[in-house]
Amino acid sequence: MAVSSPERVGARDAPSSSYRLEQPAPGAPGAGAEGLGGRRGYLLFAVLGASVLAVAIGALAVGRYMVPLGEVFRILVSRLVPLHRTWTVTDQDVVVLLRLPRALLTVVVGAGLALCGAVLQAVLRNPVADPQLLGVSYGASFGGALAILLGLSTVALMAGAFGFGLVVLVVVFVLGRSAGPAPTLTIVLSGVVTGAFFSALVSFTTYIANPETQLQSIVFWLLGSFATATYSADLVAGVPVALGAATVLALRWRLNVLSLGDEEARSLGVNPQATRWCLLVAVAVMASASVAVSGAIGWVGLVVPHLARPFSGSDHRRLLPAAALLGAAYLTVMDTLARTLLPTELPVGILTAVVGAPTFFVLLRRHHRRAVWVDV
Amino acid sequence: MFEVVGAGFYYRRGAWVFRDLSASVPDGKVLALLGPNGSGKSTLLRLIAGLVAPKEGEVRRSGPVGFVPQLQWSSLTYSAFQMVLMGRTRLLRAYESPGRADVFAAKAALERVGLFHLAERPYASLSGGERQLVLIARALAGENDILAFDEPVSALDLHNEKEILALVAELAREGRTVVLSAHRPEHALGFADQAVALFGNGEALVGECASLLTDDLLARLYRAHVRTFSFRENGTVHHAVVTW
Amino acid sequence: MTESLTRRQFLRAGGLGALAVAAGLQRSRAAPSAAGITVVDQRRVKIHLAHPARRVVTIPEPAASMLIAIAGSVAPLAGMNRVSEAAVDEGILGVMFPQAKRLPDDVAGADFAPDVESILNLHPDVVVQWADHGDAIITPLEEAGLNVVGLDYGTQADLEAWVNIFGTMLGVPGRSRQVNSTMAQVLAELRAEPKPASPPSVLYFFTTVESLVPAGRGTYNDFYIKLVGAKNAAEAITGDQGAVGPEQVLAWDPDIILIGNFDSGTPAKFASHPAFGALSAVKNRTVYKVPLGGYRWDPPSQESPLMWRWLFELVQPARSTGNLRAEVKSYYKFLYHYDVSEAQIDQILWMGLNSSATNYGRFKS
Repeated sequence: MAVSSPERVGARDAPSSSYRLEQPAPGAPGAGAEGLGGRRGYLLFAVLGASVLAVAIGALAVGRYMVPLGEVFRILVSRLVPLHRTWTVTDQDVVVLLRLPRALLTVVVGAGLALCGAVLQAVLRNPVADPQLLGVSYGASFGGALAILLGLSTVALMAGAFGFGLVVLVVVFVLGRSAGPAPTLTIVLSGVVTGAFFSALVSFTTYIANPETQLQSIVFWLLGSFATATYSADLVAGVPVALGAATVLALRWRLNVLSLGDEEARSLGVNPQATRWCLLVAVAVMASASVAVSGAIGWVGLVVPHLARPFSGSDHRRLLPAAALLGAAYLTVMDTLARTLLPTELPVGILTAVVGAPTFFVLLRRHHRRAVWVDV
Repeated sequence: MFEVVGAGFYYRRGAWVFRDLSASVPDGKVLALLGPNGSGKSTLLRLIAGLVAPKEGEVRRSGPVGFVPQLQWSSLTYSAFQMVLMGRTRLLRAYESPGRADVFAAKAALERVGLFHLAERPYASLSGGERQLVLIARALAGENDILAFDEPVSALDLHNEKEILALVAELAREGRTVVLSAHRPEHALGFADQAVALFGNGEALVGECASLLTDDLLARLYRAHVRTFSFRENGTVHHAVVTW
Repeated sequence: MTESLTRRQFLRAGGLGALAVAAGLQRSRAAPSAAGITVVDQRRVKIHLAHPARRVVTIPEPAASMLIAIAGSVAPLAGMNRVSEAAVDEGILGVMFPQAKRLPDDVAGADFAPDVESILNLHPDVVVQWADHGDAIITPLEEAGLNVVGLDYGTQADLEAWVNIFGTMLGVPGRSRQVNSTMAQVLAELRAEPKPASPPSVLYFFTTVESLVPAGRGTYNDFYIKLVGAKNAAEAITGDQGAVGPEQVLAWDPDIILIGNFDSGTPAKFASHPAFGALSAVKNRTVYKVPLGGYRWDPPSQESPLMWRWLFELVQPARSTGNLRAEVKSYYKFLYHYDVSEAQIDQILWMGLNSSATNYGRFKS
């Protein structure tokens, strides 16, 4: 039947009558609002959120110096409400001065790194993208190492880490843009090359550093550690990660569209270059902030999104928040292990690699059949 | 409606694929782009859709264009519904995620193409015809006045080919302007109103389908012997083009 | 007349003969081989020198100051490690031997990797290098035709071996024996002390600023902690490579904490760490900075007996008998032929940094 004026599909007013649309029954698939919601969605985020909280509070109790869980609660509550003191000064110092800033930092950095990984995997359409693989961590490490070598202040160190992280991302993007039949492969390759270059520069700084004063600090960068967590470090990491996360979460729908490819994205009304740049800058900010406070920690950005995907799906509206929460819990567990397993502190970067690599392998094999990630 | 005014394009300077091409397509009409492989059909389609800028001339449009690409793999496992929902992106601000109205529109679009029952299935697991319908639904969900199809049936069997073309015709009858690139002339004859014949060397001819697409022209276009057979069935004329 | 001449002649001949025999014996003791000196290093490699070493390049950090001490002067030292040079510039060794400050120090890079060309330019008789860091840092020197004396690090026996090796190399074995016997004497005295019924626990840190690296069991620090009758709080760790977290320090809660000279840490900086206010050692002000003399007193060196005495006074203050300052004076005279002033002793003992520490008043002049 011919209609003179063009139909508008589902505008913000009532649907036109020529669409013989029946509202689906409440229990039918697709019923209910999309996005974060849906019964399954709420359950997922409730579980993840509770896990983060449980792990963080556990991290306050567990360590080479054990504090009973009950006392941990009482100490925390006593910060707000005066309570009769049933714990020792050491207990309180350990919980409030040592572990609380550290747990906050692992939560922030874990969430940040996981978000970086998830975003990079979608933007570059590559399942093994990780800020480490893209060279950003190496660039940021070099920025920090250079600042140590030149004897500059902590502020300069952060700025150096930030700046060089961004530089690397720009280089990788420029190199990776050069056309060719497999653009994503080009980007990964240029990331590996640029990362290797900056990694060599870091090695050079270790070579010329004064072994008495500077070398140790520089080595810290290479292995990653939360040993120097303070409340100011929480702020220094927290603000950039919050800004980066806000940007990335705001763009998470566009990230879905971007992952279809540039031409399709453009045809759907998304400017792929602008969106990509926005996301990459946010990633660089978050990754560089993480390196600035805790050195280069790998295998979190790579593994956590894949761990989250079977539960949240590929839709980034759910995947990003899920990955962030899972990353926060994951890194907190890793760091707690790193400082508890042995009398000496293990650099947490070693632990995440030792755990992350086999985990990734298992994930790939198990989900290959379920086609969680179908490659072109 | 849309209007192509003096459009020209080249990949290498001096080697024009087409030049000084003009066509005017009113609402509810269908324009078919015909030509051999590599003649610039896809390019002209993208030009009309606004994905590519012409080297010369311009394209005027009455509204947004919904682009339906050729079937290809998607590397992430979105559901059919999620794919369709992406068509709503044009109407969202950069920082927005789809809301209830968008969800409703996407469902309506899926229903329109008859695939509502497959909404939660992963897109990559659907058959060729189903995937093409999902892409069409995506273009519909975006409330687009103009629809551009890139060889929508080249990868499909006869049944699906018939279904898709029938749907496209219906969408046009509902008032949308349609442009599609076709690899077989039958997709233009008896179906499209106007056609562009692209020879790939800069020459392009525009006209009403019936008058433009003679056997002689088709033979020159495809550089083969061509004979068109037509028959009437239930009041509709059907065409078959045979080459030898 | 003839008989008295014969007796005098006989006596003189006998005397001369005795002298001749004595001289012959001397010569044979000083020159065991036909020409030159044989030095056996800690790799059991024999190095033959035509004459006592006159130009020595040292790469291990403690070797430069030990060489100066054994030789009694800077003369045989041709070049030293950058780190040793830094210790010379900053410490009393540079005051006692100002010429040492001008010596070349570009002989090695990080990890003791030798800069063979710079070393060859110095035309050394001997290069002293670590033997327990792998062959890669020794082979290039030997292939360039240089004599390499390899040293192992860590134990009191190693320290005594170094003293002997250096003495032989420099042609002053008697001096070595003196140094070692003095050390052995102090060692015997301390070993003879009765061990306290409940030994206090001591925790030594190499570094405290960037990271907390304690000395575990098996280290030299562990050796002298136990020597003076204390326990090593870091017994659970082996060696000296691992950094611990502050909560591990809180779990150990040692009685005495020693801040080493391997970074710029001080007792005040340590105490200001947010969580350490609860530590017993901080509350009791038994956190001390280890002295820095001709070389750091932390690792094995020619001044180690002074370190043992110093630590003994702090660990068992009731039983201490000696006057550390007098011992430092006499030891420095013996080692360096130098009269160290009261102000210099204050500097060596870090009187400024340790002034408010418990029991440190006994070290005042």
